[in-house]
Amino acid sequence: MNEKDKFKIPWVEKYRPKSIKEMAIPSAKVKGQKVNLAEELIEFIKIFFNDIEKINRFNQEIRVFNRNAQEKEQKKEKNLPQEKAAVLLEGQPGIGKTSIVYAIANDLNMEVIETNASDTRTRDTLEAKLKESSKSKGIMDFISESKKKLILIDEIDGIYGTKDRGAVPTILELIKSTQFPIIMCANEYKTSLQSLYNAIPRYEVNPLSKSEILKIINKIIEREQIESISQEDLELIMGKNEGDLRGLINDLQALSQITDENPIERNKIILSLHRDTTKEIFGIIRDLFQTVNTLNEARDLTNKSDVDYNFLYKWINENLPSFIQNKNDLTNAFENLAIADQIFGRINKNMQWSLLPYFYDLFAGGVALPGIENRSKGFKTVSFPRYSSSTSYSFNISEKSLIQKIQAKYPLSEIEVFRDFIPFLRIFISISRRNLKIVSDWLELDAKEKKLLK
Amino acid sequence: MPIWRLKYLPKTLDEIWGRKSLISRLKDFIEKKNLPHLLFIGSEGIGKTTIAKLFAKEFLNSYFNANFKLIYADIPLTQEERSLAKSEAYISTSKIGSMAGRKITTPAFIQVKVKPFVQLKVIGDIPFKILVVKNFEALGSNQQGFRRLMEIYGSNCRMILITTKISGIIDPIVSRCQLFLIPQIDFNSFNKLFLKISSNENVEIEKDVIKTLYKITDGRISKAIDLVQICDKSDGIINLNTLFESLKKFKIEEIEKLILASFKGDFIKARNLFRNILSIYKYNINDFFQKILEVINKLPLSKYAKIKLINLIAEADFRALDGRDVDIQISSLISKISIFGENM
Repeated sequence: MNEKDKFKIPWVEKYRPKSIKEMAIPSAKVKGQKVNLAEELIEFIKIFFNDIEKINRFNQEIRVFNRNAQEKEQKKEKNLPQEKAAVLLEGQPGIGKTSIVYAIANDLNMEVIETNASDTRTRDTLEAKLKESSKSKGIMDFISESKKKLILIDEIDGIYGTKDRGAVPTILELIKSTQFPIIMCANEYKTSLQSLYNAIPRYEVNPLSKSEILKIINKIIEREQIESISQEDLELIMGKNEGDLRGLINDLQALSQITDENPIERNKIILSLHRDTTKEIFGIIRDLFQTVNTLNEARDLTNKSDVDYNFLYKWINENLPSFIQNKNDLTNAFENLAIADQIFGRINKNMQWSLLPYFYDLFAGGVALPGIENRSKGFKTVSFPRYSSSTSYSFNISEKSLIQKIQAKYPLSEIEVFRDFIPFLRIFISISRRNLKIVSDWLELDAKEKKLLK
Repeated sequence: MPIWRLKYLPKTLDEIWGRKSLISRLKDFIEKKNLPHLLFIGSEGIGKTTIAKLFAKEFLNSYFNANFKLIYADIPLTQEERSLAKSEAYISTSKIGSMAGRKITTPAFIQVKVKPFVQLKVIGDIPFKILVVKNFEALGSNQQGFRRLMEIYGSNCRMILITTKISGIIDPIVSRCQLFLIPQIDFNSFNKLFLKISSNENVEIEKDVIKTLYKITDGRISKAIDLVQICDKSDGIINLNTLFESLKKFKIEEIEKLILASFKGDFIKARNLFRNILSIYKYNINDFFQKILEVINKLPLSKYAKIKLINLIAEADFRALDGRDVDIQISSLISKISIFGENM
């Protein structure tokens, strides 16, 4: 391999483990119990093929029977139970979820059919890609003894409402009728995938330990003959990636190409190796409010980041008041942000993408620049946008049970209960302790529900 | 039954206070065992739903449970219901014409909440089932889907649509219904009701109090009963003083605090306050702004100042209609009020 090619293949692909023997297996938990992920997955695949064979044989008999039987006597075909047909691996990015699947497939001589967030996963496309391959064998399969297949649905939390419409039901259907084992990967818990989570076993995959990561990194450094990386550099990028091995390897590759000798410059470059993490957002927010001086700089800052602006502008909303303290500046900044929000809403509603440039400038530059004169240089904590305005219409568990108890006695809608009846109950209860007892006896409330009424 | 408003909730049509002519018209339908689609119009909290329900109960009699449904048009579908809705269907290609093979979409709301009920056959010995749709105007463009339903399934299911704003309902729907203006309870009946409560509960209610109650509640019975129930009854008598004391308790103090904090320019506090209010009372954004307006109207401010504030709120409300994040719009409003407060 010549000098040029060395950088062409991403090291992440180059050093992707070919077999689980050469891989550092991340530890995993299922239902709170620690398990060996590789063994569990191999076990899962073996059991799957065992069971599916039995079921296929059984179904074949039924089909033969049904062909001759009367309509009334026909029997139903069996399906594999969902929890035996698919598993879900959950864990932060870059810890080896995809790698372990490929390594196992390689070891067991299987072919991996993958779909990930880069594909649009609407019902139609998913069906086209997976369903056929999951149900039947290809024509070639009859001619030659084919490889068994393994279906990998990667980045399943990247399935978004409107863009990937109908994907979740399709996947659930797929799980029911599949002829091949399915492994899904996800980074975070998402409520929209709840139905999926309920159906199948879920493995929480933990990041590798520091020493294991160091072993792998040192091996790569040795193989690639990198000399320019000092121990401090390594510490820096390791700290930055927090167990994200893929990110670490990517950084390492980028770093090995830097020839700048100046240590401060090097550090800057290392830290600028962006990755989509919360930390990056923290940096963007600080830069936006404390270092950006011109509209172009603000534009650059938001353009360069991989962070979804849908997400970023909520962060800006949350942190605006702590960074801008002058009232006039704050008002101007919020005015711009409010218009940006309105524009964003219109873009989403009417698909008026021509408005997008205004949104870009208003939510970043429009927010950062008003406060430029009275800027404070000190360190400010960046807070996470916990509050989401959509929560105002949803109820938590004790609220729900309170509502149900009231509805059993007094037929109102949920919203009416909350806006009309509960405020009255609160006042009624506040009058005397006796009233509290009367109400709680009447509705048979528990402690949590009583607390809601206080 | 510890809560009076439930205790004095009418259980039959005859028990409904006042509104005699309306009830006799409704009873006519019951006698003839026939009714058109109805549209109930009247202001909030006046008893439209109670009347509709009691009417349906007496009309359907013992088959009430299986043949009656009440749906709220203003409550959005839950995630589950949404996934239930098959949002795509195809027009058969065998039909000749430009629409053949095209996708058609039925609004999820109608598909999940309305259609299954209206399509199901009547159970029992009654002419048809009854569907009550509350806050019908909130259906918006989905009303278009409703008009066909009213025709196709009309023989199977009659509908009672309830609304506070007839202007929000499209003409084709209005023309398919018989209109019922639900009047306020008249003062005489209101008076009688409270005299009854007074004798049942062993408290004396002064005549002035009943008059004032009628005025401040706009004839909303449940609100008036609520007010009386939380009055201090230790003296065995409710006079205007005790009434005003209990009226004070109904104020949402948080909103006043919110406006005060905004005036003072304490942005962080104001922000926490409004987030709290939204999550406790589950207001939607429009209701929230209405509440603020109510409070501002009562504040001792100059005419100019009030108009300016209303201007600001209107602007925020208008933007929130388009915008994606309510939080931003309210935050912006608060920051503007703080500037305004500084200059005052």
